[in-house]
Amino acid sequence: MTRRRLRVICAAVLCAIFGVGLFASTVSPYSYARQFRERPNAAPSASHLLGTDSLGRDLFARLVYGTRVSLLLAPAAALLATLIAGVFGGLAGLVGGWCEKLVLAAADLSMALPLLFVLLALRAVLPLDISPILSVIATFVLLGLLGWPSSLRVVWATTRNLRNSDFLLLARATGCGRWRMIVRHVFPNLRPVLFAQFWISIPLFVLTEATLSMLGLGVMEPLPSWGNLLRGLEDISAVSANLWRLAPLILLVLVVICFQLILPAQEETA
Amino acid sequence: MRHGIQRIGVRLLMLVALCLLGGLLSASLVRFSPGYGVDERELDPRLSPATVEAIRNSHRLNSGLLSYYGHYLAGAVHGDFGSSEWLQRPISSLIKERLPVTGRSVLMGVLVAWVVALAISLATVFFRGYLLDISGTLVSGVLIALPAAVVAIFSVYLRTPVFLAIALVTFPKLFRYLRNLLAHAYAQPYILAAQARGIGQARILFHHVLPLAAPALFALLGVSLSMAFGAAIPIEALCDSPGVGQLAWQAALNRDLPLIMNLTLLVTIITVAANSFANVASERSL
Repeated sequence: MTRRRLRVICAAVLCAIFGVGLFASTVSPYSYARQFRERPNAAPSASHLLGTDSLGRDLFARLVYGTRVSLLLAPAAALLATLIAGVFGGLAGLVGGWCEKLVLAAADLSMALPLLFVLLALRAVLPLDISPILSVIATFVLLGLLGWPSSLRVVWATTRNLRNSDFLLLARATGCGRWRMIVRHVFPNLRPVLFAQFWISIPLFVLTEATLSMLGLGVMEPLPSWGNLLRGLEDISAVSANLWRLAPLILLVLVVICFQLILPAQEETA
Repeated sequence: MRHGIQRIGVRLLMLVALCLLGGLLSASLVRFSPGYGVDERELDPRLSPATVEAIRNSHRLNSGLLSYYGHYLAGAVHGDFGSSEWLQRPISSLIKERLPVTGRSVLMGVLVAWVVALAISLATVFFRGYLLDISGTLVSGVLIALPAAVVAIFSVYLRTPVFLAIALVTFPKLFRYLRNLLAHAYAQPYILAAQARGIGQARILFHHVLPLAAPALFALLGVSLSMAFGAAIPIEALCDSPGVGQLAWQAALNRDLPLIMNLTLLVTIITVAANSFANVASERSL
């Protein structure tokens, strides 16, 4: 199988999973919070495709809604991180001098921080009893606000190369204004790099959200996400009784691998 | 020599500046977090009004950010980082108890990850076997797609030691970097020339390849420590290992801000110091 065909397959798989998440309310016959109290820990059947959890909630519905939370908010966090990286990395690369030193020092320092410790510390500052919707927003905003340093370095290096390029020198020599230069010349050349960084950040944020939620500090119940669905793996007897409980893990691994396999294509365009 | 000492001095100064800045940031977060200064003891009906007033006064004493920070710094100089609100114990004694556990797991985990990643990368580059390369890529690809917490759960199922779980989380990222790094080094024309002249592989590796890759290897060593410390939180939390990672998780769940801030600062200083050391070592190896 050629690399190109593999990428097409991965893109199709990702589109299908994104589509299922986007149309969760249509795909799933039940709400993610609806309880079937007479059927806790039920085995897979026609009415419950993946069975039910210990509270009698349909696992398929929770998986589909969890996909929506994890897969639609991770790109939002990636967008925030890429925006921060783009603005500050671009600024540092174009302006140079003390501004460049300051931004790079901040990026280097942030890169040296253990992300999970900082996330835990910042999450602990917020009240723990926030609503599930707020917990989702807090989790992904924190991820977006902390996930920019490595992208910033790449954007900065590209912008610095652009600053010293002949075509920008020519643009400056012909009297091109600063804003026009940024909008018409720098940004179009940065776009593939920004897109690649955005793409790289998504699986990273999906995995970090999963870890945070598994530790009880991410998305709060009853709202499902892949992370808090994976908490079900802690109950080994329930997993061995119903192997479909591994479905969130399989989906997560599949999505991250698909992102990884598509990634080189983005880098090549950069 | 003089330049080397100067560079080490600059790094040390930066580390001190980081400690001060990190301390100020932590103090600000603790001071301005919702619920600061609220003491549950004030609700105890057995306490007299005078005692309640004394408790309130003790909080008022450090109510300003700068006085809070100054008080914290003065204590930190004497090894007193305050008390945990949740465990009601000095933070320094908690760190003294827990840090060796995490330190051992992290160092063993990083060591195992490095040995395995280096061995497979060298074998892949050296023997140029597609099977080895593909299996290494597949295993690392699947492992990289697993959240650290899931690795921890599997580690509990299989009753493996904590350091092995840390090694499994660190290995895939290390393997990818190392394989690319070594492949790049082995592709250099002078290495090909050395191979063509019949120089032994061990000599090529230790005299030509490793010195070329040394700066990047040292940098990777610093980064791998940071990765391992990050992985220690979910792994220690879910494997019930009494280390700093588990303590940080419990502190976050119990909203023990002084404890979590001190732990974050401590791990940050350790990882930044390791990165600085790696940078100095890589500059010397250039």
